[in-house]
Amino acid sequence: MGVTVLQPYPLPEGKSGAHIIDHLGKRLLSLGATHAGQFLVDCETFISTPQHGTPTRAVHVLHDSEFPASTFSIIDNGTGKQVALVADAIFDLLMLKMTSTFTSKKQTKIESRGARFEYGDFVIKLGSVTMMEHFKGILIEIEYRPCITLSYCWEMIREMLQGFLGINVAKEYPTYFTTQTIMNAMGQQQLHAKQNDLYEPMDTVKQYLEHFTNYRKHVQLHGGLGSSGLSVNGPVLMPSTVVGVGMGRS
Amino acid sequence: MAISSARESLSLALNNRFLPNLEYLLQGSILDTAVEHLMHRLKGLCDNVDTSPERFHDLEVCMSLRQPTSPQPLLLRVRRALGQDAPFQMRYLGQPEVDMRRPTLVRSCMDCACTNGILDFLTEMGFRLEFEYIAKGYMFRKGRMKITVSKLIKIVPGKQQDMANEPISQSYIVELSVVAPTGQENVGEEMRVFAEQLKPLVQLEKIDYKRLGNLP
Repeated sequence: MGVTVLQPYPLPEGKSGAHIIDHLGKRLLSLGATHAGQFLVDCETFISTPQHGTPTRAVHVLHDSEFPASTFSIIDNGTGKQVALVADAIFDLLMLKMTSTFTSKKQTKIESRGARFEYGDFVIKLGSVTMMEHFKGILIEIEYRPCITLSYCWEMIREMLQGFLGINVAKEYPTYFTTQTIMNAMGQQQLHAKQNDLYEPMDTVKQYLEHFTNYRKHVQLHGGLGSSGLSVNGPVLMPSTVVGVGMGRS
Repeated sequence: MAISSARESLSLALNNRFLPNLEYLLQGSILDTAVEHLMHRLKGLCDNVDTSPERFHDLEVCMSLRQPTSPQPLLLRVRRALGQDAPFQMRYLGQPEVDMRRPTLVRSCMDCACTNGILDFLTEMGFRLEFEYIAKGYMFRKGRMKITVSKLIKIVPGKQQDMANEPISQSYIVELSVVAPTGQENVGEEMRVFAEQLKPLVQLEKIDYKRLGNLP
């Protein structure tokens, strides 16, 4: 387990997701990476049935095939407080015991799946994100395994990303690491930069949740699930860290 | 080959009956003064003879969630080892079935190891504290059977120290249990035979909680 950075890949106009994934996969292979199986990260959200006087709570339940025995859950109590939990996979069955209090929002079930590559100390996953069978975008996961602190290896990850994606990645740490809030001793929310913290599997899962939430919002903004979402380079999805798209060379 | 989702693997485990989700249970008690004899008997009968019985010292917190559709709240028990760093254990127990034809009590059971945020997580979900106690004692194993001899300790609010808390009674609770997948009916018989060997020191029985209904 090392440090993982999740990078959305902007889709150029007129190109299909499958085409891009195929293209990136070929690039990785020609670099010398080896194909090492498949991966899947999925997310299901349960919403509390509205009760008088309490805000709606959401429980996000995620799985990551990299950690097949675990279920990751994050509860959002509706007032900004989040609690994260890692549990055995049987936690899913416990959630089903609470269906009268927490109902699954089936139409927002979202997942990222695709091929997994290994390249020296790096693991790269090319994920295509789908919600209800509709393609939503491309998420690239890159992990540098020998290190568990982002600040020590960000430059290397960035260089690797730029190398095979052919895009410019901003020098600053990814926003997930710079915009976390923690509760201080006085019980107040406080900004906390995470780049020097020890990296945990939960951080990977939280990055996925952040991106999944953006994709879901995008659907709400653009009216329902009808749109196939093939041109998902709207303002919500365009990450500030990705500057230009340079798919010309391969 | 496409990778299967966690939900798919879980239903596979359930359908093929290799997910342990039933607890077979027998319970009894023994006075403090006689517990030494029982310990000797268990040391002789059980697997872990060479390593002295495993000790445990756990805090169990029972949390409940009121469900709009059912008169019974959903209960989840969270166990934390005191004095050693171990994952928290969350346990769901179903309604016990006391079937005359079966030698033990049977109830559905789900064990789930979690990180230490579990109590906070359940509180945010709307769970409320039902009761809590400390269990301290010894654990033996015999094949797939687990035998615990434990002292239940009441928690005096505001006092976390073990010294301040009092034992609930002058005896130890003895539990013999197996958690097995559905459809393994021979477990009960295996347990009955073992329970016979502990007589007359301790009488292990299937205890019908419904009959104890009004006790605090």
